Amino acid sequence: MLKSVVRAVGAAVRISSATTSAARALPRSCPMLCAPSSATARPFTRSLWMLNNNGASSTYRPKLFSSKGLNPSVSCGCGGLHTEGDKAFGQFLSDEIKEEKKIQKNKTLPKMSGGWEVEMNGTEAKLTRNVSGEKVTVTFNVNNSIPPNFEEEVEQGQQKSAEEEPEIVSTPNFVVEVTKQATKHSLVFDCHFPEDEMGHGEGEEDSDIFAIREVSFQPEGESDWKETSYTLNTDSLDWALYDHLMDFLADRGVDNTFADELMELSTAIEHQEYIKFLEDLQGFVKCN
Amino acid sequence: MGVVLRNLQKVVPLRRARLRRDVDTLRHILGIQKFDLGVICVDNQRIQQINNTYRKKNVPTDVLSFPFHEDIRPGKLPCPLHRDELNLGDIFLGVEFVMKQCREESLDLHGALTVVTAHGICHLLGYRHETEEEWTEMLQRESYILSEYNRLTGRHLEPLMKRCSQDR
Repeated sequence: MLKSVVRAVGAAVRISSATTSAARALPRSCPMLCAPSSATARPFTRSLWMLNNNGASSTYRPKLFSSKGLNPSVSCGCGGLHTEGDKAFGQFLSDEIKEEKKIQKNKTLPKMSGGWEVEMNGTEAKLTRNVSGEKVTVTFNVNNSIPPNFEEEVEQGQQKSAEEEPEIVSTPNFVVEVTKQATKHSLVFDCHFPEDEMGHGEGEEDSDIFAIREVSFQPEGESDWKETSYTLNTDSLDWALYDHLMDFLADRGVDNTFADELMELSTAIEHQEYIKFLEDLQGFVKCN
Repeated sequence: MGVVLRNLQKVVPLRRARLRRDVDTLRHILGIQKFDLGVICVDNQRIQQINNTYRKKNVPTDVLSFPFHEDIRPGKLPCPLHRDELNLGDIFLGVEFVMKQCREESLDLHGALTVVTAHGICHLLGYRHETEEEWTEMLQRESYILSEYNRLTGRHLEPLMKRCSQDR
């Protein structure tokens, strides 16, 4: 919850600062912006940056940031801009990081049962398991893996306490690749966690925990899938075939228990990455 | 359409294809292939919650049926006016509950699920067991369904009603 508030506040700050800058900058900067023909073609934000850049070739300085309130209050010699806003931002991030670390369940990532090896590459996780000569890999990315939260009920009803707030859960799409020995292609399952239209944690949802969206054969180990490979879409599939595909995955360790553990792992990774991002952001703002 | 199968639990490893095949065999025996049917597999927690909500019984159970049509009479199929009324309703299977019973009695899980599903379908078709008469009528129907099932598949399943208490 804190996270969404931070993101919302962040967005609001961006919007408000942009409008403020535009309102202040436009009247003064208009002659400059309009004067060179090339400048008019440039995006407004880019022009603003040019005006503020000490190394700008123009000899005319419109003094966009000459007012006292916008003067850098801190200087660290990095050549970057430091404002009171940055200072407040840094402090805010510091508090936020503390809060997020407080609610972080574990510093280490939860283990997947079933002998899966976990390999991380940035926000992408790859789980690998060998079953009797077959290699099964599952990949997912924690970016954009948190479904939007519906707050209507909270707004309409009484305010919920912190304990009652629904936890943020990461439900990434994931890809299962099954490769048999001596074959050049893998059977690839594009899976997802269905979002229920009515449920949202009230216990009335009626979708499977995870579902297969598409199935196709792809060359083994290729990161880019061939568009020319036939892709079986499960929307209009014979349900008996769909059930066999689900049983096929279950036999290879990809079942509801796995999906549930994947959600837990993804949630932990997402939170870890979020905290890391906040720390990077803090470092960037403070220019340490 | 046909059978909409959902597995909402992770306690019991299910064979979806086997369950679907068994449900399809039951539909074939009863001549209800043109009707849609929902089969939703849930754990003890979920079925207890549903049982408490709709029957005020705060205990887990093996099966709960929710007929689509209201005016159903035992032995008479609903007469839908529109295509979207070709629906019998939903059966919630308490697969965790059934699995526990199977372990205690050394029974095959999927065989037991077929028996429980046959019982659930009977409820969707209007059979009840609140009175002695109803109980006998439903037992007869279940016995017929499972004898046909056994004949087609070579299995030896027995009706749930045989060990069913009156309060079910």
